[in-house]
Amino acid sequence: MPDITAADNAVPHLIRHGRLQANDWRVFAPEADTEPGAQLPADEPGWIVPLPVWSAARDTLRQRRHPVAILLAPATNLQDLVGEDGQVDPTGIAFIAIDFPLYTDGRGYSLAQLLRTRHGWQGELRALGDVMIDTIHYQARVGFDSFLVKQGHDPHQALAAFKTFTVHYQKTYPKPPAPELLAA
Amino acid sequence: MYVYDPVDQQLVEQRVAQFTDQTQRFLAGQLTEDDFRTLRLQNGLYIQRHAPMLRIAIPYGLLAARQLRTLAHIARTWDRGYGHFSTRQNLQFNWPKLEDVPTILAELAKVQMHSIQTSGNCIRNTTSDHFAGIAPDELVNPLVWCEIIRQWSTLHPEFAFLPRKFKIAVSGAEEDRAAVGVHDIGLQAVERDGVLGFRVWVGGGLGRTPMVGHLINPFVEWQHLLTYLQAALRVYNMHGRRDNKFKARIKILVKDLTPEAYAQQVDEQWQLTKNGPDTLTQEYVDTIASRFTWPDYDTAAAGEPDPTEMHAAAHPAFARWLRKNVHAHKVAGYAAVTLSLKPTGTPPGDITADQMDAVADLSERYGYGELRVSHEQNLVLADVRRAQLFELWHELRALNMATPNIGLLTNIISCPGGDFCALANAVSIPVAEAIQRRFDDLDYLFEIGELDLNISGCINACGHHHVGHIGILGVDKNGEEWYQVTIGGRQNGAAKPLPDLQSLRGGGAAIGRIIGPSFAREQVPDVVERLVRTYLRLRDSDAERFIDVVDRVGIAPFKEDVYSDPAVAKAAPAQSREVAHA
Repeated sequence: MPDITAADNAVPHLIRHGRLQANDWRVFAPEADTEPGAQLPADEPGWIVPLPVWSAARDTLRQRRHPVAILLAPATNLQDLVGEDGQVDPTGIAFIAIDFPLYTDGRGYSLAQLLRTRHGWQGELRALGDVMIDTIHYQARVGFDSFLVKQGHDPHQALAAFKTFTVHYQKTYPKPPAPELLAA
Repeated sequence: MYVYDPVDQQLVEQRVAQFTDQTQRFLAGQLTEDDFRTLRLQNGLYIQRHAPMLRIAIPYGLLAARQLRTLAHIARTWDRGYGHFSTRQNLQFNWPKLEDVPTILAELAKVQMHSIQTSGNCIRNTTSDHFAGIAPDELVNPLVWCEIIRQWSTLHPEFAFLPRKFKIAVSGAEEDRAAVGVHDIGLQAVERDGVLGFRVWVGGGLGRTPMVGHLINPFVEWQHLLTYLQAALRVYNMHGRRDNKFKARIKILVKDLTPEAYAQQVDEQWQLTKNGPDTLTQEYVDTIASRFTWPDYDTAAAGEPDPTEMHAAAHPAFARWLRKNVHAHKVAGYAAVTLSLKPTGTPPGDITADQMDAVADLSERYGYGELRVSHEQNLVLADVRRAQLFELWHELRALNMATPNIGLLTNIISCPGGDFCALANAVSIPVAEAIQRRFDDLDYLFEIGELDLNISGCINACGHHHVGHIGILGVDKNGEEWYQVTIGGRQNGAAKPLPDLQSLRGGGAAIGRIIGPSFAREQVPDVVERLVRTYLRLRDSDAERFIDVVDRVGIAPFKEDVYSDPAVAKAAPAQSREVAHA
């Protein structure tokens, strides 16, 4: 059996706006034993900060020259992200990412739906983690519009998976976008 | 019968293409075992003791003759010439090869069938009353509502990866034959001021922590059914436990939060979408209803001479069958007929390919080619003219499908057990057979009257032992098979609340209680016989059923009799007597 976990970085694994592109974002991991927000990434492009970091330092982070993205864990309580009006203030947020540590953990689907339908998030929503050819269709329908496809899964096939189903029963969940397939 | 429109058909075909691709990637080493496991389960494919097991959906138990013929064809071509009806109105094949499964699915799609969501942690096949659409006590035809739920739940993007499996049952009749009290969500149609709505029971279920559902909303008006279900599922998806698979069912969440707090959270979510675009309209419900073909009943049937009673007087065996296997129909002159898949010596629910073909023919000759699968693992011919019952009985006898035991002790519900299932601790089928052999005297069986006996080979409770009037559960003790016996369980119809059982009741269902230490396999028929004899001694008339007596007197007299019965003790293998009576 070929080693399907081997890095296949030659092909970009990020699907964004229906296209493949290189991923230049990484998750900021504060050192252990530091209070959330006590340590922040440098003001440079490409940082994704976990929600506790954002919550502790949101006023500072909103002012950055290079906006950060916010990472939500599956167990996130969205009340920690939204303002008093129940809406997400998009100021200074590059995008929101939801982590799928395991693709079988479906909480991220409801988080995405709630961000889109209840909390007014109209910006980019990215699926991170165990994102597979086989999950991307569902993820697109609950409101994700960018996807970091996991290693071992062919990003071209993942793009094609937007078209796995052309008919759907749940009319209030949008159809996935038509992929602009790049020449392989 | 629901007839697919082009969207339904396309969706099923696209699912076949998707699963074919997934299987090929797995076989080519491009998809790991771990990644493939959940994907195949969501398509009803288990890896079992001998081979993969493929579970095919029979939505709400409604089956057409041509579909049954396809199942027969699949059984012959890719399996070993038979199939097994499960307790959830589905059909299982125990011997397909993984590489053949995509082909089997393509065959199924040709007759508007699939295996979508028959397993895995998602919304499973919605089940219903096996007399749906034909029962005289029906308030509303649940088939239409089941189909609406089927469509809503099929490939639902938000609820494909729930903490655990999720089962919905719908009852549209006065008598609950869908066991709504022991499902994750049970819906019972009710009318209020002339408006149709549903009682919503949540958190019932069997398995290792059996519980009866809680009524979390006494009336959800029909227009709001889907938005309410969406809210109920969302609260579960977000907050159901994912750290322990044994605590992941919604029943644990409802218990931990309390039913009131859970209902409150559902209500909060519901307010977001209630009256929104997912609100059902009469036009939509009518559209779904119009895709069903309904039998064109002959009004002359009501007036034609009915020789049934005459034949019954002359043929006691026919009279017995008439009493037990023939049921009232909403249309005068017609009857529903249960084909027993429980003759002694055949695994409960098993059916051969030849029987499938024969039944398909019968359903066309004696009806409109429509069948129902019951959760008791039998088949129902839906629309038989009463004038033809005698003739039909002869044909069914020749097929060994006229055993007059519906509602009786030998109509045993059983999972496949340790002979097939990798999860089982013990065998079920040989135990069922031993009990059937013990009660092979039909006079005695009829004397005992209504009695549900259910057997599960392990704690997962696929044989619904918790809701059997007598339940038998296979357990493992130090690598040996043992059987735990419960009495007093019921799937519906609890007449009165009883102080000692109250906490276990709801939706008319009740969970049986363990009578004491487990038994060796050889003892089980003696135990059942002892329970029955105690019942016969205690009943105040033959109208008082086994379950009624357990309700009235409790389990103590039964327990005493069983554990002091020399026949039971004698049947124990020598080395295990001590354990059985410890």
